[in-house]
Amino acid sequence: MSEPKTPGWVDKIIDAFAPDELAEEIKGDLYELFVNDIQRKSIRYARKKYTFNAIGFLSKRFFWKRDHYSSSNPFVMFGSYFKMARRSLLAYKETSLINIIGLVIGIASALVLLTVIRYEMSFNHFHSDTDRIYRVVRVSGEDMTEFRTGVSYPVPAAFKEEITALQEITSMEYFGGAYVDVMDAGGKSVRMFREDFGCVLVEPSFLKVFDFKETDFRWISGNPEKALVEPFSVVLTESMAKKYFPEGSPIGKALRFEKFFDAKITGVISDFPPNSDFPFTILVSYASLRTIRGEERLKNWFGVSDSHHTFIKLPAGSTSTELEEQFERVHRARTPKDLHTRHYLLQPLKEMHYDARFGTYTGRTISKSTVVGLGLVALFLLITAAINYINLATAQSTLRSKEVGLRKVMGGLRANLAIQFLVETFVIVLLSGILALLVSEVALIQFESLLNLRLVSFHFLDPFVVISLCIIVLIVTILAGVYPSLVISRMNPIAAMKNSFLTNAVGSISLRKLLVVGQFTLTQILVVGTFIVVYQLHVLRTADLGFSADAVITVNFPNTSTYQQTNTVAEQLRSQSFASAVTLSSTLPSGLNRSRSSMGIARRSAQNGNEYKVFEMQMVDPNFIEMFKIKLLAGRNLTEGDSTGNIVINRALMKELELGTDPSSVLGQELKIGQDPVVVVGVVEDYYSNSFKEEAGSIVLLVNRKAYDYCSIKLSATDPEFVRSAINKVERVWASSFPEHIFDYKFLDENVKQFYLQEEKMAKLFQLFSVVFLIIGSLGLYGLITFVVNRKSKEVAIRKVLGAKLGHILIMFSGEYIMLIALSFILALPVAYYGVNLWLTTFVVNRISLQWYLFALPGLIVLVIAILIVIAKSFRTANTNPVSMLKHE
Amino acid sequence: MGTRIYLGELEELVLLMVSLLNKEAYGVSITDELKKQTGREITISATHAVLHRLEEKGFVKSKLGGASAERGGRRKRLFSITAYGQSTLIDLKETREMIWQAIAKTSFS
Repeated sequence: MSEPKTPGWVDKIIDAFAPDELAEEIKGDLYELFVNDIQRKSIRYARKKYTFNAIGFLSKRFFWKRDHYSSSNPFVMFGSYFKMARRSLLAYKETSLINIIGLVIGIASALVLLTVIRYEMSFNHFHSDTDRIYRVVRVSGEDMTEFRTGVSYPVPAAFKEEITALQEITSMEYFGGAYVDVMDAGGKSVRMFREDFGCVLVEPSFLKVFDFKETDFRWISGNPEKALVEPFSVVLTESMAKKYFPEGSPIGKALRFEKFFDAKITGVISDFPPNSDFPFTILVSYASLRTIRGEERLKNWFGVSDSHHTFIKLPAGSTSTELEEQFERVHRARTPKDLHTRHYLLQPLKEMHYDARFGTYTGRTISKSTVVGLGLVALFLLITAAINYINLATAQSTLRSKEVGLRKVMGGLRANLAIQFLVETFVIVLLSGILALLVSEVALIQFESLLNLRLVSFHFLDPFVVISLCIIVLIVTILAGVYPSLVISRMNPIAAMKNSFLTNAVGSISLRKLLVVGQFTLTQILVVGTFIVVYQLHVLRTADLGFSADAVITVNFPNTSTYQQTNTVAEQLRSQSFASAVTLSSTLPSGLNRSRSSMGIARRSAQNGNEYKVFEMQMVDPNFIEMFKIKLLAGRNLTEGDSTGNIVINRALMKELELGTDPSSVLGQELKIGQDPVVVVGVVEDYYSNSFKEEAGSIVLLVNRKAYDYCSIKLSATDPEFVRSAINKVERVWASSFPEHIFDYKFLDENVKQFYLQEEKMAKLFQLFSVVFLIIGSLGLYGLITFVVNRKSKEVAIRKVLGAKLGHILIMFSGEYIMLIALSFILALPVAYYGVNLWLTTFVVNRISLQWYLFALPGLIVLVIAILIVIAKSFRTANTNPVSMLKHE
Repeated sequence: MGTRIYLGELEELVLLMVSLLNKEAYGVSITDELKKQTGREITISATHAVLHRLEEKGFVKSKLGGASAERGGRRKRLFSITAYGQSTLIDLKETREMIWQAIAKTSFS
């Protein structure tokens, strides 16, 4: 008889779940019935019945029941661990809450910082051959201390011509803001726009060198090969195209720039990613430069526009040093001696975002050390949160000693107990991690601009974030869970049952003290550092600039404006009562957003290039010095009658040209700017045209009617209502002279503050994280002191019965913590000092000196907070009637 | 009879089958016998479950018996009634008879 076949998978299931003997017995019975069924009915029926019967077994409880004592595998109790974790979480609600809040804050902050770090590190990394792309930068001065980005117009072409290996080179001129008009077919302006940034001239090779390969970048329409070849062709990004032409395709339409030149739209590309240092939205062909700047400017090796950047792709087989040597050769061959102090060097694209010396078109850089600093803060936050947990868990272990003792007596292995407590930690950390994810999402949205982030999507959908969260949860679980679980599982069951140890036998108090000290050391470093950073920025904000920027609003004239127009505006404003003074100038006395032009000046007798000193030329009308309250040291103010040959210099230039120390002796001194002769008619005190990160620069003031780009208006009052109406009146004056241009103004003092925008943001960030550290530390302290107070309630009662006063008891509780926090302050001092000192070196002028009280005050604040927590918590215990605490037994 | 006996109705029937089959009681034979004697059809897994309970309560004991070809060479677990099982059955029977006698005197007269 051939073997009738039973359904194999059913047998497998039975084998898998039942012990051997039971499986044999069950399968035997099933088989017997199976054979019976085949004889009575059919094989198909038998097989169905076999399966049905077998499933019947699976639904029976005895099938699953096992002998408990046969296995010593601790994982058998897995389900029980989670059950116990839930119970103990609920049993010790206050501690759980403190732990969870601390962990949520810590993990959420770490997640936010991680997102920021990743964003900052991702800048400009998405082009093919990113490693080989360099920016040509300009370093000048005898001691090579002037770092600039601009390259003179003829430079890139000369490099390409003479250095044969150099194939890929691309230049661009960034305008930043521009007036843009949308034109109709008849050449009439239909809609007017004022763009604050994004307008650039680029060569066709721009999108070849920077191919944005690893992003979603693409050409939406237009021919990538030809779109940017012809002069006055323009390529828009998608969002710009939608803004200007919401109704349809922009291809072939015309835009007018600065009311000056028209350009035809030849292509649309997708927006650049936010983590690019090219904030371009309107890309005009570089070939237009000839018309815009004029033939003469393009041949000028001296003049430099700092927004004219050149990038190269390093030819295969050569190094950046070799190429720099070639640049030097070409530059020297084509320029006279007095320009040989200028050098063109190469800066790797990958460093562009992190090197503040050169800057970027976005105006924002972040130093690598700041990124590392943020990473450290994230790490420290996780550590402090973990320390809280360790402290509370070990402190609490005494409360749970009975549970542990009983478990051990009933045969619980040490491994079982350790795993139980680890699982408990894991549950708490996981819970906190999930909450932290939500909190960090909210925080990112809230602090988007503070963190310089541009968010594109919800970050909890990002696999990177989810994976980091998993890693953080695991690390924190191990960091926070291993030590307490070892301590707790080590307890001697008999001692544990008797509860014979109170505060000093378990969880080694000394380690807990150590952790509190560690935690508060980190907190104090940050708090002290933040305090000093904030103080320094306050000093900078209120420091004397050497001129008065109060109540001054500034207006930038269009590029096409004539002296006729600018003078009309100035005259009309002067006649109005709200303006106490009005001045026209080529640039502003200070501020981040202003144009700068540098030239060389030397004694009339100078022969060599190195005798020329670089200075900033500020072409102004005679009201400038008076209106900005710049101090005249000697000589006279400029007058309308002065030619460009009469100059006023500042003290810094006087020193640099070694003209002596007495300002009045400099008057009448004959100098030359380039080759043009000039005479000094006045000397003014230094004022800070650049930030306090540099010394006051050398400045020459002279009258030049053709060069006025700015109008500055000093208001006679500063109340908001007055200012608002004054601005309206200025706008009306503007409209009468420039009806086609959109009116825009700035407050000069705010413009000056822009120098420290990044520092201000960083200070805010530090303030935020100091608070976070303080909260976590305070939570931990609160938890610890709660525990200690509870344990010591009887001791307090007995002390009170024996005559101790409230004050004594409070001192008893707080004394220890004051000591610990004082110790952590002492430990934090050198680190904070080192860090702050390093940061302060970025400021050359008005740097605060590190007085002792700048450290003591924040330290004291932390101490007071800690004492308040300890006293608030111990006060009730210390104040209770001793009888009520003692009578329980 | 002092203590309460925890023996369900199906458990009692199965226990009776075990003593009836004497030395030849195992899952399949008990299920068959139950059907033959009472007309009740229960699944093989239910029989096993009841036998497990009976063994836990100490009414039956079991040992693995010989293998046979119709079981595909697998051994069967043979059940036999324990002394406690027997006395429990007798107890139950006596209690019922006592009650029946009382009923006969009153209601069914």
